[in-house]
Amino acid sequence: MNSLRTLHRTFLAGLLAIMLIGTANAQVLNLATNADPTLNPWSPGAVIESNLINTILFDQLTRYSPEDLTPIPALATAWEASEDGLAWTFELREGVQWSDGEPFDAEDVAFTFNDIVLNESLGAQSASQFDPIDSVEIVDDLTVRFVLNTPFSALPYYLASYAGIMPEHVLGDAPDPLTVASFNKSRPVSTGPFKVAEFVTGSHLRLEPNPLYWGGEPQLDGLIFRVIPDPNTQVAQAMAGQLDVVTRLSPQNVAGIEGGGRLEVLRQSQNLFYFIAPNHGDARFEDPQLKQAMLMAIDRQAMIDALLQGFGEVATGPVAPMLGALYNPDVQTYPYDPEAAAALLDELGWTMGSDGVRQKDGERLSFYMPTGQFGELVPATLLVQQYWEDVGIEADVQVMEWNAYIQDVVVGNNYEVTLAWWSMPPTADVDPYFSCAATESGGNNIPKYCNPELDAIMAEGRRAITLEDQIDIYARMQELLAVELPYLYLWYPDILTAKNVNLQGFPEITAATAFQHAVEWHIAE
Amino acid sequence: MTEFITQRLFQGVVVLFLVSLLTFFLINLAPGGPSSLIDFQSTAAEREARLARYGLDKPVHERYLNWLGGIVRGDLGTSINQGLPVSQLLMQRLGPTLWLGVASLLLAALFGIVLGIIGALWKNRWPDHLVNTIATLGMSIPNFWLGIVAIIVFAVQLGWLPSSGFASIGSGFDLGDRLAHLLLPASVLAFSLMPNVTRVTRAALLEVMTTDYVRTARSKGLQENRILGKHILRNAMVPVTAMLGLITTVLFSGSVVIESVFGFPGIGRLAIEAANGRDYPVILGVTLLAGLIVVVVNIVVDILYAVIDPRIRHD
Repeated sequence: MNSLRTLHRTFLAGLLAIMLIGTANAQVLNLATNADPTLNPWSPGAVIESNLINTILFDQLTRYSPEDLTPIPALATAWEASEDGLAWTFELREGVQWSDGEPFDAEDVAFTFNDIVLNESLGAQSASQFDPIDSVEIVDDLTVRFVLNTPFSALPYYLASYAGIMPEHVLGDAPDPLTVASFNKSRPVSTGPFKVAEFVTGSHLRLEPNPLYWGGEPQLDGLIFRVIPDPNTQVAQAMAGQLDVVTRLSPQNVAGIEGGGRLEVLRQSQNLFYFIAPNHGDARFEDPQLKQAMLMAIDRQAMIDALLQGFGEVATGPVAPMLGALYNPDVQTYPYDPEAAAALLDELGWTMGSDGVRQKDGERLSFYMPTGQFGELVPATLLVQQYWEDVGIEADVQVMEWNAYIQDVVVGNNYEVTLAWWSMPPTADVDPYFSCAATESGGNNIPKYCNPELDAIMAEGRRAITLEDQIDIYARMQELLAVELPYLYLWYPDILTAKNVNLQGFPEITAATAFQHAVEWHIAE
Repeated sequence: MTEFITQRLFQGVVVLFLVSLLTFFLINLAPGGPSSLIDFQSTAAEREARLARYGLDKPVHERYLNWLGGIVRGDLGTSINQGLPVSQLLMQRLGPTLWLGVASLLLAALFGIVLGIIGALWKNRWPDHLVNTIATLGMSIPNFWLGIVAIIVFAVQLGWLPSSGFASIGSGFDLGDRLAHLLLPASVLAFSLMPNVTRVTRAALLEVMTTDYVRTARSKGLQENRILGKHILRNAMVPVTAMLGLITTVLFSGSVVIESVFGFPGIGRLAIEAANGRDYPVILGVTLLAGLIVVVVNIVVDILYAVIDPRIRHD
């Protein structure tokens, strides 16, 4: 009797000790997002506030290597292109389960692409990036074949870029798989290392480890994404010790964050470049020399120092240095030289007029330059206006509200020059922003630059399967783009992320890569 | 009285109808469109497909009639950016806003009236000047700035109060925790609303204090406390009540800012998100709700007049 009681007591004490240790070691990471996320990467409502969260929840066929951003296995374990580059076969991982216990198989991949991405009436997010895909065929339970209409060597890269695979057994019967509120706004079924535990709109999203995850047990006990719309409040909270990770940090806040000692700031990259788009519907831009003079007249390093506190690098083309071997630094560059710019403009026949603006045959060198209220776009535009004024080029700047800007300038193509950016998957395949086909009303070639020579090189790049071939082809593409200047390249900004100094296993190379490897995150004691 | 209320309710419905009509056409005339549908990196083809899917390619008057038909059936529509029914979003966000609004109103009324009394009783002496200074500060300091400073001082530096949110995450309902989260935003909001109450209270008291009946009461030898409580305060409360009614409607615009600064998941922040994202059904839902509250508050204030001042009769 007595021994039984002792046993009982020991057992209870042990249980209590385990519970105490359990609470003491519960490691929950606090993050922020600027609005309520939409938990479906293909939903048009899912943008910056959702992308990184969806990256954790929904595994993709491939993900980026933390070392060099090459695609490495995720839900697919191996892939191979056919001889002609028009079919890609992906072997899928065996034994993967959705968070509700259903098995993952080829049906899910085929559903994601055939019924969501390629269903044009849905207008899925970034669907146009997958235009080269005709359909996805099921070969067997764990094998799919991507059937393409044109070779697309960057396919495995694009499949790692916010291309989460969705559950066919949950969304397959929905009339619109992008707007199922019980999924997008409550409890989605997913395959990633963490799953949704609680979603309180306007407040927070709490994730807990997914016990069915195929890639081992996450080291953290949970992630909390707090909805904090104001970036200054995010910084204040991080400094108060209530946030462990702040993404998309403004350069102005770096010094304050680092001064606290609890957080460090990572200078991550992204294949992203800021540009001034000249509208090639304007005959003045037929000669690339005018564009070259306009670029030489701008002190881009000074702009980076002023606007980004130096957190950026002068751009030489659309392919960022983060792409390593695919980046070609040996292209024509345009260092700041207002005298050379003025001389070149003189040579082109644009002579200085009495009003301080150059003209040729009675036409003034003046450009309508609308800009949108977003990030650094307005101050950047005003700086460019000043640099151009110094050499006799007039920019007629009009500041517009952001949504109005997109509709009028981007969609309506109503501008002569405008300053913006493109963010692309980490590949040199920039076709959607440069090809002649993308000048059509549905495409993202907003400067309407069309050059068959460039198209030919880009098509060659899409056919080239080996990295060696791609390096050679894309080096030539970058040379051509540096001379022709379809866009005036400004800078590659650093993507600033503040993180708790004790948070380990957090790949530094890009934010997307860091979140694709959330299973490895842990807090050092 | 019943007839008065019925009449005012009918007028309220007309007002709400006009508000909806005006809002609908104004937001549809504004350039741009729902942000989820016209995201910058999306191609024009993607955008067109989305606009068609949400019926936004139809003419404005047709969309208004559809929306109005929904309202009559009790359907506020579905948020374009969030994909949730507008009524559900409003219900989720109403609680925190009422919690913040009522607390701010009580604080503003309490401190405003007390300071107003102090100002009136010590007219043109130092307590009055102090009250005046506080009121001027409350009037002129922008509340978003005060909010950020309050976060830095009380949450970051001193660590006394949470910096944002409605409640601690993961814990169940805990009144102390809720109050701790409420204190900063409610105080900041109350501080900017209080000066109106202070000034009206002070002015009304001063006016009443010089009336004949107060002089008569004094000459009768009534105690000063009784004069203040029974004769002065009660009569001065009519303009103060009117001011509190006005403030209730201003609360909404104040909470828009405060909720954003303090990460409070209320209607105000929903309104901002909806306006920035051009989420038409949500903008209309929030506007209608705000309009409804203004209409109801005004009716309540009118009724309160009659309660406070028996001379006012609504018949």
